[in-house]
Amino acid sequence: MLRNLTMTTIILILSLCLLAGTAAATGTYKIGIVTPTLSASEDEFRGAERTAAKHPGMIRHITLPNNFSEEQETAITQILGLGDDPEVKAIVICAGYSGILPAIQKIKEKRPEMVVITAPIWDDPDMMAKYVDLALDTDWVQRGISIPTKAQKMGAKTFIHYSFPTHMAKEVIAKRHDMMKATCAKLGMQFVEVTTPDPTTGAGPSPMLQFLQEDIPRQIARYGKDTAVFGTNCPMQDVIIAKALELKFIMPEQCCPTPTQGYPAAMELAIPKEDAGNFDKINATIKEKAAAAGMTGRLSTWPVPVGYFFPEFSTELAIEKIEGKVKNYDMAEMKKTAKKVAGVEVAFNKMKPEIDNYYLIIMDSIIY
Amino acid sequence: MIVRARHVPQMVIAIFLCAMAGGALLLEIPLPWVINDALVRLAMNGVLVLSLVPMLNVGIGINFGLPVAIVAGLLGLCLTVNWRLTGSLGFTMALALSTVIAVCLGEVYGRLLNRVRGREEITATFIGFSFIPLTNFFWATAPFTNPAMLWPIGGIGMRPTIGLKSYFAKILNTWMPLEIGPLTIPCGLLLFFGLCCLLVHLFFKTTPGLAILAIGENEGYARLCGIDVDRMRRLAVILSTVIGAVGICVYAQSYGFIELYDAPMMMAFPAASAILIGGSTTGRATVAQVVAGTFLFHTMYVLSGPLANDLLVPEMAEIFRLMMTTGVILFAMLHHGGRHARPSETL
Repeated sequence: MLRNLTMTTIILILSLCLLAGTAAATGTYKIGIVTPTLSASEDEFRGAERTAAKHPGMIRHITLPNNFSEEQETAITQILGLGDDPEVKAIVICAGYSGILPAIQKIKEKRPEMVVITAPIWDDPDMMAKYVDLALDTDWVQRGISIPTKAQKMGAKTFIHYSFPTHMAKEVIAKRHDMMKATCAKLGMQFVEVTTPDPTTGAGPSPMLQFLQEDIPRQIARYGKDTAVFGTNCPMQDVIIAKALELKFIMPEQCCPTPTQGYPAAMELAIPKEDAGNFDKINATIKEKAAAAGMTGRLSTWPVPVGYFFPEFSTELAIEKIEGKVKNYDMAEMKKTAKKVAGVEVAFNKMKPEIDNYYLIIMDSIIY
Repeated sequence: MIVRARHVPQMVIAIFLCAMAGGALLLEIPLPWVINDALVRLAMNGVLVLSLVPMLNVGIGINFGLPVAIVAGLLGLCLTVNWRLTGSLGFTMALALSTVIAVCLGEVYGRLLNRVRGREEITATFIGFSFIPLTNFFWATAPFTNPAMLWPIGGIGMRPTIGLKSYFAKILNTWMPLEIGPLTIPCGLLLFFGLCCLLVHLFFKTTPGLAILAIGENEGYARLCGIDVDRMRRLAVILSTVIGAVGICVYAQSYGFIELYDAPMMMAFPAASAILIGGSTTGRATVAQVVAGTFLFHTMYVLSGPLANDLLVPEMAEIFRLMMTTGVILFAMLHHGGRHARPSETL
């Protein structure tokens, strides 16, 4: 009995090794994509789905727990599970959470050849640069220059920045706010800072949203229609865009620039199933609705959601590396691939001059 | 002496509000806007606060499981929007559907709460918290067909926020507005809230209403009088759930959006704060306390924001407001006067 069992185990192990060897020899491999769940963030989830449809049989898509901060261990185990699969040669993590780096460290210790791309995770940049092959993120701070500049081009004379204390305590958001203030001063625009009730202090986002509904008309009555309104929190965007359609002020960009944030609810975009995910159609519908509301040239965003773009873009970069087309990622090559995936120009900046594998992006805007 | 002390929170907040109104006048913040917003907020949030009354009066305590009622209302709203029913027909249909769904959910919720006597508030909190992830799954997979409600990328499942502008947004707010100079009084919205208050007030004059009050007063005595305590407790929970479902319909039409997924999670807390600020103890609530509490709590929000921003001390406003509201709630909890207090405390 024991002998039979030992024999079966040996045969099983041998066949698994053979299978893995064959997979490697014939060049078939898999790429793991890690995203939040659909209800946590549609962009990344659908981006991964689209990538899986583009490369059938090649993608292993896993989702992180909904309440990531409380189930970090589960998340790490899930990612380590991808690293244990011999067929998986690259892992792309598009999560926007802090605390994933330990999983990457363990994978790299075990399998140093594994290509790991983060787009983004928010751990310590210096540590990340040490362990990942490539780290990507949106250039949050640089947007402190690009957003007021765009707002001025759209005709804004005043720039209103809505935020709340816990958000302003975040380094990136505070830095972007300072950049916006400085840029407005440079461009001769009035910068107005308004603090909303804090959605993290017990009562949830409702008081913040109710405050916005009441305060925006007051501010527009005070500063006029040529005012750009920017809110630092995602739920704010529905109210800001709905009020923009009503009061005709300028909305230069949302906190997370994408046609799928704020616009669908505020404009009640009816997107047929066959057009879902077709950004040319979605952007055209927004443009039509903006024109119907007399808002042409006063609403803007990035044409493709960054969260939707990153999974496919990162996977293409991972394929290039696995197949030996690139050894180290350089900006010019990445720009070409990014344009192919996004359909618009994407600008890259280094996170820090001394780090060669951490890049921040800004996309060209679409003005409706 | 202590009876008088029970009104200290309302007095403190009223004085604070008067001081803020004075400040607003000095800073030339247009008061008609503030009054207008305060009235809208009173009626917009009032029905949700009102929904806490039956459960408080039957002795269950604060309905921290309000998300259950809210989900019933949201489902009614979503079905109406899915069938593209607009205007007053749409809103009435949303109310009717929400009520039916709330009765079903309330029955189950009531049975659950009857099994955990003495620990209802904490159980209700966790029922609310665990119900939301379940409904998140439902929203993400439910076979709704109106493309204006579906995820814009995947095309399946509901968006987190659904616009109501072409359906019945602000239908009550814009019904019979009374314009007095720069002031616009949303009479329709206030009338609807008034009607809800009147119905609840009248309900507590009926036999089942009095039975609920009797159970809240002394459950053992009520049982000896032949009142079916379990049934009446269930009735109170169903009533709270129905009013909560109607409350979210009123809230959504006034806000202009239906908010799904995690949005209802924390909605019980501002409602609880409002009713406690109104002077309700954890053992009894009246309609007058609902109106007073909602008005004080929300007017504080209306006034403190613009005032603090104009004074350039926005962080202080947040801290001060939190101190006031949570302090008052703590006071109400500690005081625990009314019918459950020891005789010496109510003298």
